[in-house]
Amino acid sequence: MDNRQPLLRHLNWVLLAAALALFAVGEVNLVSASGTRLESGLAQASFYQRQLLWGVLGLCCMTVTMCFDYHRLLRLSWYLYGLTLVLLILVPLIGTTVYGAKRWISLGLFSIQPSELAKFAILLTTAKFLSSRSETLGWKDFGLILLMAAPPLGFIVKQPDLGSALMLLFIAGGMVLFHGLKASVLRICALAIPCIGAFMWFVGMHDYQRQRILTFLNPEADPLGSGYHILQSRIAIGSGQLWGKGFAEGTQSQLRFLPERHSDFAVAVFGEEWGFVGCLVLISLFVIFLLAILTTIIQAKDRFGSMLCVGVFFYFFAEISINMGMVVGLMPVVGIPLPFISYGGSATIVNFILIGLVLNVSMRRRAFRI
Amino acid sequence: MKPERPDTEPRIRVGAKEATESYQAPRTGLIFLQVLIVVFLAAFVSRFYYLQILHGAEFAVQAQNNHWREESISAPRGRILDQRGRILADNRTTFGLSLVRDDVRDLAATLAQVSVWTGMPIEKVEERYRQTRLKVKSFEPLLLASDLDFDLVARIESELCYWPGLEILVLTRRNYPEKDLFAHILGYVAEANEKELEEDSGLAMGDLVGKSGIELSMEKRLRGRKGISDIEVDASGHMVSRVLREEPQMGRDLVMSIDRDIQKACWDALGSQAGSIIVMEPDTGKLRGMVTAPAYDNNLFAGGISHRDWNVLRNSPRFPLQNRVLQSAYPPGSVWKLVMAGCFLENGVSPQTSVFCSGATKLGNQIFRCWKHSGHGQQNLEQALINSCDVYFYLIAEKIGINKIEEFARASGFGAPTGIDLPGERSGLVPSREWKKRRHKRAWTRGDTFNTSIGQGYTLTTPLQMAVYVSALLNGGDVLKPLLLESDERVVRSRIPAGRDTLAQIVRAMRRTAAGGTARVVGRKDADMGGKTGTAQVVKLGKTRPKNETMAWKQRDHAWIATWGHKGDRTYVVIVMVEHGGGGSSVAGPIAAKVYDFLFSNPRYTSPPGIQEPPSPLHGPPLPPDMARERAARQARLPY
Repeated sequence: MDNRQPLLRHLNWVLLAAALALFAVGEVNLVSASGTRLESGLAQASFYQRQLLWGVLGLCCMTVTMCFDYHRLLRLSWYLYGLTLVLLILVPLIGTTVYGAKRWISLGLFSIQPSELAKFAILLTTAKFLSSRSETLGWKDFGLILLMAAPPLGFIVKQPDLGSALMLLFIAGGMVLFHGLKASVLRICALAIPCIGAFMWFVGMHDYQRQRILTFLNPEADPLGSGYHILQSRIAIGSGQLWGKGFAEGTQSQLRFLPERHSDFAVAVFGEEWGFVGCLVLISLFVIFLLAILTTIIQAKDRFGSMLCVGVFFYFFAEISINMGMVVGLMPVVGIPLPFISYGGSATIVNFILIGLVLNVSMRRRAFRI
Repeated sequence: MKPERPDTEPRIRVGAKEATESYQAPRTGLIFLQVLIVVFLAAFVSRFYYLQILHGAEFAVQAQNNHWREESISAPRGRILDQRGRILADNRTTFGLSLVRDDVRDLAATLAQVSVWTGMPIEKVEERYRQTRLKVKSFEPLLLASDLDFDLVARIESELCYWPGLEILVLTRRNYPEKDLFAHILGYVAEANEKELEEDSGLAMGDLVGKSGIELSMEKRLRGRKGISDIEVDASGHMVSRVLREEPQMGRDLVMSIDRDIQKACWDALGSQAGSIIVMEPDTGKLRGMVTAPAYDNNLFAGGISHRDWNVLRNSPRFPLQNRVLQSAYPPGSVWKLVMAGCFLENGVSPQTSVFCSGATKLGNQIFRCWKHSGHGQQNLEQALINSCDVYFYLIAEKIGINKIEEFARASGFGAPTGIDLPGERSGLVPSREWKKRRHKRAWTRGDTFNTSIGQGYTLTTPLQMAVYVSALLNGGDVLKPLLLESDERVVRSRIPAGRDTLAQIVRAMRRTAAGGTARVVGRKDADMGGKTGTAQVVKLGKTRPKNETMAWKQRDHAWIATWGHKGDRTYVVIVMVEHGGGGSSVAGPIAAKVYDFLFSNPRYTSPPGIQEPPSPLHGPPLPPDMARERAARQARLPY
């Protein structure tokens, strides 16, 4: 085995290019989303400048992530899992309460959100576990994965942080589905999902969460209250029509009808100003981005690398689908940002680290697949 | 590096250099991912297509409506001026202090602060707050104090930042500087009620509309046309920009025929009595003065009248809200004899026909008395008018019959509104056989005819009808519509069915009455005068009438006098009616005399119109000389 081959030759350039293109689109969109028209003129918030800073920081983290051989993560995974559990246990005890939910642990200078860490931990441990199985999973292995995912999931649901819990489910579930389940297990699971759904509805959910789903089903019931977000975002996107209203010309966003327009609803600003054509370009970019990850999944040297990429794929896939689904009114409102488009410091860094992980795997493949 | 587990899949060789015991991703898993990507693509492309292309236009409209609001700009209401251009009603900008409930932090302290600023007692501020609280939405301004003066507003403004929820409002208010003097003529404006809003699409909530008087009847002319501006707002409703779409148009100014000074003179002459005075030009039908008393200050209504003030006005025993000129109908008493005289002469009674008055006459076992118990002796028509002999009218009226009397009275404008441009005019009553049957289910009696002949019984007239009739006597028989605006054209509603001779005889009798008869109190050396008094009984009493002073006010007689006066180039008809005033010659007469004192002591009111007065924009272009001369000539002399 030749360890000294030039790593960059195998780098997944398409993925990197797609990610940077998406980041650029997000940055341009943020310039508009930061603006507010007032009687006295245009007021600019500084979101896009800060986002740029976070992007540079994210690229640094990405580079660091690419530098070491991803197989080292095999040994690290259980430590990370342990650390995550400890932090999650600590959250209810010493966490700070924001908007009625305890999600953060303050470390003086900055705060950390253990649920973000949990996504990494689940990604690594599931990848490690699955890399040691070559057969489709039977009841025993499936049970083990459930057992592993259950504790962090439970703590996160308790916080409550439905968005993060959903993401964990998507990552782990996606990887398991990708790896393959025995037919019997798959059938039972398919049957179990509606039951679990019903259980969650009646027992597991908070009232406000139930309300969100009801609002999603019928936003017109309360157009100025809980349905406001959905309706306004639909109006924003729809009024973009074919060509959009033009950069920084969106009335829904500039006049603040659109809530959370720089974070969760950023794509609505984009849709209003760039129209159907712009949205097609954006969706295409996301598809190229996901296909690029898919390439590395196929090309990965071994199962562990491949499974890491699968986890990353589902992470991004879930975030993109849930966020855009929410903004265009295909899904209930869940506080999940759109990768690269929504403003968010830690999210940007996490995104770039995950891309670094995929790039890492892509660099260290050995052969072309045909 | 860990050794790879043996893969189940076959190894693949690629080229010569690079080969690996390769890992191959599970096929089903890859298909799964690809399906996901395709579903993602399909779902979002179709959704964006649905939103932006299929329904894009609808959403574009919604977005447009989201941030554009239409706002109307109120147009100032036209002013009302008197004949000589003095302001009777205009618009005043006032400042008010209002409170937005949603923004107030500490209500009690805020109300207390309002009390400190305005000097209103705190209880009053709180009461005002409680009263209006339910009518105003929580995010709309609730008016706590109005009519703040400018210095106070400046002071409040500087401290306003410490009191969230309080704001200064700029209000336009209708202002009536003459107050009581013109209250009934002008009426007042107030916010449109639900019915008015429904009937007139041009009105919006909170708009002021005329509720009575000229403000109501001339609403169309006085109200301007509102302007429209488009306002771009942001999500919290704050204005971002404003575009003027339509300029507001001010309402038209009205110039009234009434002269403020004449009005004031009438008002002063009437003093504290309840009653009315009309000064009318017989030739044109224009009213120069029209006073009703007691009156009220219509500014009270313009500012939104308080419950207390309203109750005081409504429950006052003297009915200040009543416009006695046209909304009250009274028995005319002997003034009615002017009508009867016309009727007699036109129905074949010769002026020489005479009747003997012994002080009373019998009808069956009923005795009808003359006001002069000792009797007037032999009386012809002219003497009967001058002396106001009741017996003459009893007997002749009986000969003529009620049908002819009714016919004549109706044709002369009685029993129907005069058509003046003021709301709520009464018709009065001209009784007839059918009317009595309908109303009282009893047949007409000869006694009824007796009573009708002297203006008692069922007969009711408004002072305005009487003014119109006397004017018609003077102008050759034209029953005119009384006019309130200087620009109004002369309108002949009907003609007294009487020849010129008949009218001349009545006018002559009036002249002699003023010279030496019952109306001599209005007689003047410097002017040609005529008059007829009336004392209308309100209650039926026994044989001997007690003196008015000893009766309750409500039971005293109504005092009337109907007069005309001619001096220089002008003729005026003056009608005075004093409710429960007592005798026509003793109470109404002196009041009319005072009015003439004013009119005929000022050359302005005796010189022909349009000649001496400087041309004023109020009156339009000056008349061509020959027309002015003709008009002056027509005014200059009486026809008889």
